[in-house]
Amino acid sequence: MKQTGTTRRGFLGTTAALGALALAPAWSTAAFAQAGSTLRLRIDGDNNVLDPGFMTGGTEIEAQKQCLPFLAQYARDGETFTWEPTYFVTRLEQRDATHIDFELTEGLTWSNGYGPVMASDVKYSYERMKDSDWSGYFDALERVDVTGDRTGTIVLSRPFAPFIMITLCHGPGAVLSEKAMADAGGKFTTSFPAVCGPYTYEATPGQRAVFSANPDWTGPQPAFDRVECNVITEVKAAELAFEAGELDCTEVGADTLARYTKDMPEGTGIAVAGELQYMWMGMNTEHPKLQDIRVRQAIQHAVDVDTILQGAYSGTTAKSHGIICPGLTGQRDSAGYSYDPARARELLAEAGVSGLEVTLRTLNNQERMLSAQIIQANLAAVGITVNVLPLDSGPFWEMGQESKGDTWKDLELWIMRFGTTPDPYEATQWFTSDQVGVWNWERWTDPEFDRLYEEGINETDMQKRHDIYVRMQEIMENTGAYVWINHEPEAFVHSTSVGVNAAPSGELNYRRFTQG
Amino acid sequence: MIPVSENPSESETGIPAVDATGLPDHVTEAEIRESAAREHREKLRSFLTNWQGLTGLILVILFFASAIFAPWLAPYDPNALDVPSRLSGPNLEHLAGTDQLGRDTLSRILYGGRVALYIAAIGVSVSLVIGLILGMIAGFGPRWLDSLLLLLFDTVRSFPTIVLALATVALTGPSLSVVLAIVIITSIPQYARVARTATLTLRNTDFILAERSLGASMTRTLLHHVMPNVVGPLLILAAMDVPVVVTVEAGLSFLGLGVTPPTASWGTILNEGYLVIRDAPWMVIAGGIPLILTTLGFTFLGEALRDIFDPRMGKGR
Repeated sequence: MKQTGTTRRGFLGTTAALGALALAPAWSTAAFAQAGSTLRLRIDGDNNVLDPGFMTGGTEIEAQKQCLPFLAQYARDGETFTWEPTYFVTRLEQRDATHIDFELTEGLTWSNGYGPVMASDVKYSYERMKDSDWSGYFDALERVDVTGDRTGTIVLSRPFAPFIMITLCHGPGAVLSEKAMADAGGKFTTSFPAVCGPYTYEATPGQRAVFSANPDWTGPQPAFDRVECNVITEVKAAELAFEAGELDCTEVGADTLARYTKDMPEGTGIAVAGELQYMWMGMNTEHPKLQDIRVRQAIQHAVDVDTILQGAYSGTTAKSHGIICPGLTGQRDSAGYSYDPARARELLAEAGVSGLEVTLRTLNNQERMLSAQIIQANLAAVGITVNVLPLDSGPFWEMGQESKGDTWKDLELWIMRFGTTPDPYEATQWFTSDQVGVWNWERWTDPEFDRLYEEGINETDMQKRHDIYVRMQEIMENTGAYVWINHEPEAFVHSTSVGVNAAPSGELNYRRFTQG
Repeated sequence: MIPVSENPSESETGIPAVDATGLPDHVTEAEIRESAAREHREKLRSFLTNWQGLTGLILVILFFASAIFAPWLAPYDPNALDVPSRLSGPNLEHLAGTDQLGRDTLSRILYGGRVALYIAAIGVSVSLVIGLILGMIAGFGPRWLDSLLLLLFDTVRSFPTIVLALATVALTGPSLSVVLAIVIITSIPQYARVARTATLTLRNTDFILAERSLGASMTRTLLHHVMPNVVGPLLILAAMDVPVVVTVEAGLSFLGLGVTPPTASWGTILNEGYLVIRDAPWMVIAGGIPLILTTLGFTFLGEALRDIFDPRMGKGR
C-alpha cells in the first residue's frame, strides 16, 4: 500500500525552502495612506490612571490634554520653550511674584451634564493636587482664590518663577469638574468623569485608545476628527508600522534616527521635541565595594562616554556633563573628569583594590544593553570585572527604593535615565537628603546641596540661578558616584502631511497637530 | 503461576532461544557472528545511501566541530569592541559583517555555537539519564509508584516551557545555569514516559520473567536486560530533541533571559540583528543560518536513524 499526503520530512523540507525564499529582500516603499481625517499614532501601553493626581505620566498626560481644560500650554520659540495661555482662558497673567490671575473663557461646558467650567473647578483641581502623588509640582501653591464664576487668582506661598511652565503646562495642571469628581468618589482611573475639550476618550485595553470629536465642544476645531492611538509596546514594531504606512507619526530609537537623518525617505519628516532626559551611570556610595571614593573616581575615569555615544546611540545624542539638560539654565559645558584609563588604574592602586567584581544593572533595552557592554569592556581594561544584569522595567524601577524590598543594599552600579521639565529645579529635587532610598539611590547627603536646592527655587536672577545649579552638579560629581552619559532627544518620525506638536518632555498634544 | 512461552525464539527481539550450551541446536557461533555482521553492514549501507541521513550527519559533525574548535577557527575575539567599524556589511575582513559594537559576527556565531552545544549536550544527556532511570522505575516498580511518577511527569509537562522560564528568570535573574535547569526539568518527563512505556511492554516478556525467576535483583534486571532494549529509541528521540533544546536556549537569550552579556549566543545575535534589521539585515540572516542548519541536521539524522534501527517503521514516512 502506498502512502500519500504530507510527510513530516516533506513538510520540513518545504518549510525550509519557503523560509529561504522569504529571506529574499522584499523592501516595501514607505507609503502613507491618509485615511480621511484620522490621525493614527502609537502609545507604548494602556493608560491605566487618567487622574492627574495619581497617574504614571507619559501618554496619560497626552490623553488629559485632549479631554480636560488647561490654563497654559507650551509655545515653541526656535530652540527654546516658553508658555502661552490656552483657548480655555481669556486672561492668564502673573500679577506679581506670588499671584497669577486667570479668567476662563465663556461658554465652556463639561460633558455628561455637569454644567459650565467654573473658577471653583480650578480651585478644587489644584488644591487637591497637594495631597496627591504629584504634590511635588504644587509645593509652592498656597491656595486658589475664586473671585467670580470664571475668574480667580492662584496664590503661591513663595516666589516660584517656573510654576506656569512646569506645573500649569504639564499634566498636573489639568482642570477637573468638581461636581463630576464628587459623583465619581474623588478619584478615577480609566475614564474621565466629565470632559471639556475637542475630543472624547474611549479605550480598548491592549489594543487602542480612540479620541473622537466631542459634540459639545464649541472651541477651535482640531485638524483631525478622530485620533487612533494603537498600543504598540516595542519601539521597533512601531517603526515598522510607520514604514508600512500604518501610523502617521511615531517615536524612533537612536539608530533609526541616524538612518533617517542620513537618508530621509520621501514624504517623511523628523520632529525633535526636546532633549529633556539625562542618563548617567550611578554608584552606590554605601556599598562596601564602592565606599572608597578613589574606587568611584577610578570608574569615572575608566568609562569612555564618547564610544557609548557612537556605539549605542549612533552619534544622535548630546554628551552630558550633569543632570541639567541642554537649553536650560545651569547646563554645564564640561565635566570635572575625563576618560583616562591610566589615571583610573593609578586611583585603584592607591586605594589598594585589585580584582574588583561589580554588578551593573540596566533596563533590558537595546541602547542600554549596548552601553552596558561598552562600560563592561572599558572597566575590564582597568581590571574591574563587570557582570551586566538586565532587568525588566518592574524590578528596575524598584531596585533602589527602600519601600520596595532589600535590593537597594546590593545595588552597586546601574544605568539610569530620568526625564525632566524645562526648569532646572525639577531635576535637582531627586537628589536631596530626604530622597535617599527614594530616588537618590547613590545614597549620599550634602547639606550644601540641600541649601542650594531651596535657594534655586526662590532665586529669580538668571545668572545666580545658573551658578547655583552648576555648583549643585559639581557637588554631585565630586561624590564620585556619577558618570554622566548623555541627553537623549525625544525624536518622532512623521508623514510630511502631518505637523507634529510635542511638549519638550516628549508628550504629544494631538489637538495641536496640523494637517497638510 | 507464571505463564511460560513455548515459542523457540523470543517474540520481541527475534533472538533464537538458547539451550543449556548457550547456543540454539541448529546454529553455530560463527553463523551468528556472520549474521550479526551482515545486519550491521546492511544498516550502514542503508544509512550511507540515505542522502538525508548523510546530510544530517555532516551538519551535526559541522556543528560539533565548529563549536569545539571555535577558539582556533574564530578570526577575532568575539567580545572585542571596534566601534568605528560598527554595522559593516560582509567583507573580506569580517566575513559575516559586524554588529552594533563592531564585534565580528562570524566569531560570535562560532562562540555562540559553544553555548548551544553546552546546553544541548549537558541538558539532553542529563535529562536522558534521569528520564531513563525514572521511566524504568515507573514501568517496573509497584503500581502506586508508577501512578505517583506519572502524575509528576504530567504536572511538569503541563507547564509551557517558555512561560516556566519567564517566571523562573523573573525570580532568579538571567543566567545560563537557569536555562540549563529549565531544559533539564522540562525534558525529563518526555524521556521518562517513553522509557516507561517501553519498560511496561518488556515487563512481562519471557526473558525478563526468566531472569526474575532466577532471582536477579531489580537493579540487575533493569540495568542488564531492560535498559539495552529501551535505550535505542530514546537515543533517537534525544537526537531529535537537540534542536528543540538549542532553539529554547536561543529563544530565551533572544528575550534577554538566557546568557548574560557580553557572551554571544545565537539568540542574542538574532535579537541584536532584529533590532537593526532595517540598517543591517545580514546580521539576522547570519544568526539564523546556524539555527536552521542545526535543526535540519539533527532532525534528518534522527529520522534516518529511526528508519534504519526501528523495524516497525515502514517506508515513506
